Amino acid sequence: MPADAISTDVQLITACAAQDRAAFRTLYTRWGARLHGVALRITHDPALAADATHDAFVQVWQQAGRFDPLLGEPGSWLMSLTRYRALDMVRRRGREVLGHEPGDEPDTGPDALGVLMSSAEGGALHRCLDLLSVERRRLMVLAFVDGYSHSQLSTRLDVPIGTVKSWIRRSLIGLRECLAP
Amino acid sequence: MSGTEFRDGSGDDGPSTLAAEYVVGTLNQAESEAARARAETDSGFAAELRDWEKRLFPLTALALPVEPPTVLWARIERSIADASPARAAAADTPRAANDNAMRFWRAATFAALAVAASLGAFIVVRPQAPPLSFAVLAPTGVAAPVLVAFGGTDGGFALRPSDAIPVAADRDLQLWSLPAGATRPVSLGILPAGGKQLPPGIALGTKLLVSLEPKGGSPTGQPTGPVVYGGTLQRL
Repeated sequence: MPADAISTDVQLITACAAQDRAAFRTLYTRWGARLHGVALRITHDPALAADATHDAFVQVWQQAGRFDPLLGEPGSWLMSLTRYRALDMVRRRGREVLGHEPGDEPDTGPDALGVLMSSAEGGALHRCLDLLSVERRRLMVLAFVDGYSHSQLSTRLDVPIGTVKSWIRRSLIGLRECLAP
Repeated sequence: MSGTEFRDGSGDDGPSTLAAEYVVGTLNQAESEAARARAETDSGFAAELRDWEKRLFPLTALALPVEPPTVLWARIERSIADASPARAAAADTPRAANDNAMRFWRAATFAALAVAASLGAFIVVRPQAPPLSFAVLAPTGVAAPVLVAFGGTDGGFALRPSDAIPVAADRDLQLWSLPAGATRPVSLGILPAGGKQLPPGIALGTKLLVSLEPKGGSPTGQPTGPVVYGGTLQRL
């Protein structure tokens, strides 16, 4: 087995900080598809998603030295870099106009959330999301996974924007309490 | 409180809600940039962002992995070479195409596969004759049943799971072979729950891959879902 296949993500990121191209490439092969899938889901646009994935990896290379394994986790760091880039692009493009018909997104019902059960953290989040009403759970997924802004959610769900904001905040507070150690 | 301007007066949710909303992605451009700027100078706020990123990270599994365009890696390499010209000449040795492909597939997530959380007992398969060759197809990162391929005296192989591999009712596992040096896998058909008997003719060094596909198998002739198992046929 090649050494890079057993390196942890933290080791790879640390190596990136030391300009190790091979480690960077391994990180790309390990995470590229997952990050690109997330970017694609947010942007709904292959070209924008490729830009977001590109930018995220360039940031990984440039900011690897800023990653502190004691504070963060590699997966959520990589995902966050990608999501924020994708969200920025979508916002800059002014996707305030709704381009999505109902049913555009994959199923976000309780069954779809079953994939969360494959990890301990995901299982806990799944359990806590289950405490939300179906509508609020859907709101969280549309916002976090599909990159919907407050105003898009308002139009999509046909509820006032203030209500959307308030639902999301209360859902988040509920999640934080539920997930508290 | 510096987070006040981001709230609409619907309740005293505290700055943590602002961090959460930034992470969820519902803030507008100006609010997001303000939050990002704050994280640069306010370590408490930065810590809240990290906590929320960690809390909500599992939700990213709802987005299925999608292979980036093949040209993307070259583009990234160019960008980082431009950013650090001193290192531009130090590019690593290119790897074999199939090796890259393999590691890409190994990286594919298990998100779409409802893998049981606990690992079932490993079943020792004892062939009638000493095996001539074998492959262990191990999942990466998730405790799940293992697939073992045993070569028989006729040159064929028996592929057996160590335990039932849970698969959603609308999905099938599909088996692929990727001969050494090849870049496109060849379908060996659906992998039944009990395993599969493979005919002679698969060369040592061939990679065996299992992908999660729509019921009935990939509609395209190439893997369309995450590759959830992979291993190389080798001499014992």
